[in-house]
Amino acid sequence: MGRTAYLQGQKAAGRKVAAVWPARYPAELLWAHGVCPAEVWDPPAGQALAGAHLQSYVCGIVRQGLELLLSGGLTTADILLFPHTCDSIQNLGSLVRDLVHEPRPCLYFYPPRSGRSERAAVYLEAQLRTLSADLTRIAGPLRDGALEGALALGNGRAAALRHMYDLRARGALDASNEEFYGAVRTCEYLWPEDAVLHLEAFMKTHAGRPRRGVPLVLSGVLPAPSDLAQRLDGLSVAVVEDDLLACGRRFARALLPEPGDPWRAMAARLLALPPCSTAGDSVEDRASFLAEQVERTGGRGVLVLALKFCEPELFQIPSLVDAMRGRGIPVLAVETELGNSAPAGMMTRVEAFLESLP
Amino acid sequence: MTLGMELRYRWMKDVALPVLLKARERNRRKGSIGESPLGPPLESTRSLKRLMTRHYALARYAEGARPVAWVTSGAPVELLRAFGCYSVYPENHAALCGARRMGPEICTRAEEAGFSRDLCSYARVDLGHALSGLTPVGRLPRPDVLFCTNNICQTILYWFKELSHREGIPLVLFDTPFISVGEGTPEVFDYVAGQIKDAVPALERITGREFREDRFHEVLRSSIRASALWGEVLATMRHRPAPMTVFDAFVHLAPVVSLRGLPSCERYYEGLLAELQERVSRDVAAVPGERHRLMWDNIAIWFALAPLSRLFAEHGCAGVAGTYPNAWAETNHYLDLADPFGSLAKTYALIFLNRGLDYRLGLMEAMGRDYQVDGLVLHSARSCKPYSVGQYDLRRSLAGRLGIKSVVLEGDMTDFRTWSEEQARTRLTAFFESLDG
Repeated sequence: MGRTAYLQGQKAAGRKVAAVWPARYPAELLWAHGVCPAEVWDPPAGQALAGAHLQSYVCGIVRQGLELLLSGGLTTADILLFPHTCDSIQNLGSLVRDLVHEPRPCLYFYPPRSGRSERAAVYLEAQLRTLSADLTRIAGPLRDGALEGALALGNGRAAALRHMYDLRARGALDASNEEFYGAVRTCEYLWPEDAVLHLEAFMKTHAGRPRRGVPLVLSGVLPAPSDLAQRLDGLSVAVVEDDLLACGRRFARALLPEPGDPWRAMAARLLALPPCSTAGDSVEDRASFLAEQVERTGGRGVLVLALKFCEPELFQIPSLVDAMRGRGIPVLAVETELGNSAPAGMMTRVEAFLESLP
Repeated sequence: MTLGMELRYRWMKDVALPVLLKARERNRRKGSIGESPLGPPLESTRSLKRLMTRHYALARYAEGARPVAWVTSGAPVELLRAFGCYSVYPENHAALCGARRMGPEICTRAEEAGFSRDLCSYARVDLGHALSGLTPVGRLPRPDVLFCTNNICQTILYWFKELSHREGIPLVLFDTPFISVGEGTPEVFDYVAGQIKDAVPALERITGREFREDRFHEVLRSSIRASALWGEVLATMRHRPAPMTVFDAFVHLAPVVSLRGLPSCERYYEGLLAELQERVSRDVAAVPGERHRLMWDNIAIWFALAPLSRLFAEHGCAGVAGTYPNAWAETNHYLDLADPFGSLAKTYALIFLNRGLDYRLGLMEAMGRDYQVDGLVLHSARSCKPYSVGQYDLRRSLAGRLGIKSVVLEGDMTDFRTWSEEQARTRLTAFFESLDG
């Protein structure tokens, strides 16, 4: 079933749908309010309508997301949620509500940048309560036990994702990169119970056969800007792990212990996500995280898929590359764009990188 | 900090630099400015040059004598001043590099190290300077601390984190959540105020100096006054004809950015305000025959400041308002000695770049009316996303609300590789003609 049909089904079942822009947000809180998040990363949209509102130097995620909205591609959504991931998404959220005059409720969520401190946790918790108050007005109040139930759903999805990533890392999943990320990215819109069913079915279908190809760890933003995932399959690259912003860096895979205070637990869930440029985490923390991924999975190198105009990533990449090389880990950073086919020059660099691996 | 360094700093500050600067001024030949469409230049510009030259010259001797801090333009510098820190503003330094047309040369050094050409050019200038030492001011002192607030953009956070990582310098960060809706919540202000309070012991550790509340209050008082004076300076442009232009404002805002909280800053603006008030009383026009009054949106195009200023004047257009210079007069009225930390949180969290576009639209509309603006020039700064994303719609909305015409200039603050002077001239000329239309 396609994404739109699925979301219409969710609405028919009595849930609201929220279009959510990248990257990190409290999915559990939305589930608790009976709202199904549908994320807007790289929709297959042009940029003709968005061009009247955004300059050409704004990143593709922001431009294509706005295009989708303006072209009527988000009619299923009842709510628009904009996490403050970067300056461009931040302004997009304001632009849509204040100047494009989007009639549907526009909500905002600010992931703190002051580290993983107690002060950040307190502020995060306050924000969760504010967001919940907004959702109450739109989708109705929280039922008794709804937060605990949503946290359990989150744990279920995290366990399924962890299992699938583990299978791949152990070479026990016969799936192409395109198939693997296609499955992971259904979590962008499936209700968590459906996501778990989907992931389990995927693992069953693809389990038990050996991995093929050069094991690499992916970093960057998206697994498939343009046709890159297929092109990597064509080069016999077997991705074994990732800290992609759209995948490994923001889908929780760690399980939360039995929650005492569910608000605290939700804040803890967000603060426990892997180190990320958008959260203001240090490059040292990110490099250590990536190095651990390489060591654990036997990756022979790291391929960083930078996205053009993505400031948080582009600032960190030079030092990240240095840090990986300093650890003796081969690394290649390439700049990608949404929509365009991976250019030949870039693929030549990837091929040369693969040939140079020990 | 050693006694020798302290004595050297004091000797330079009190004895050598004043003499050197006077000698330099005496020896500087007055260049012919030729036929100018502009009114008489501001006398205060000489004091400004002296003040800022002294600031950058003295910075070299501050290292080892004072704790040196590199500070972002929207950071609560008042706290640093209470520790006697010498402050250097990388954004101000980048603007200076831009004005001296050194932007691309220094940016290239950062790009060679792997930083994308799409990144903020202020950041590329700063990182390029850190990598190469290139600067028009001789040398910048190595900082003991980086002092950063992300109220102006998230970019500054990534930039200062990178600087901290590369140079091994401690970073004190104030995270100011973006206020999308309304006037901010107690949770936001508590969060920011808490971080400012947390910075006190951190700065005591880094600087080796004790926090002195009396000194802090003194600095706050000075900061309040300097910002108020700056607000009055800008307000003189409400007069017809305007006694200075927004291009002058771009130049003369350097002290309120870099020296806010110091007596020299207050003194400077007292002098500038007096000069402007005197001009107002005599109807001295910055643009003789002023026909049109324009508002400028976004940071200056530093490398093209003088030619743009002349081009405006040639067409009888005076830039009389600017969202960027206004930022340093916008929120300091929140500062309150009875609640220094809470009021600093409000002052710095509520600046317009940290608020939704609806607020910015209201601010620009009010400025348009207050300054009797009949046109808008929007600088779409390629490397400044938070300022630029939304400008196309702001332009349309303001056209509807104020009934004014507008033009967008695609450019950058410092990197003129993306700038087409001919194209800009053509667009502006057509725009000016349409105003006459």
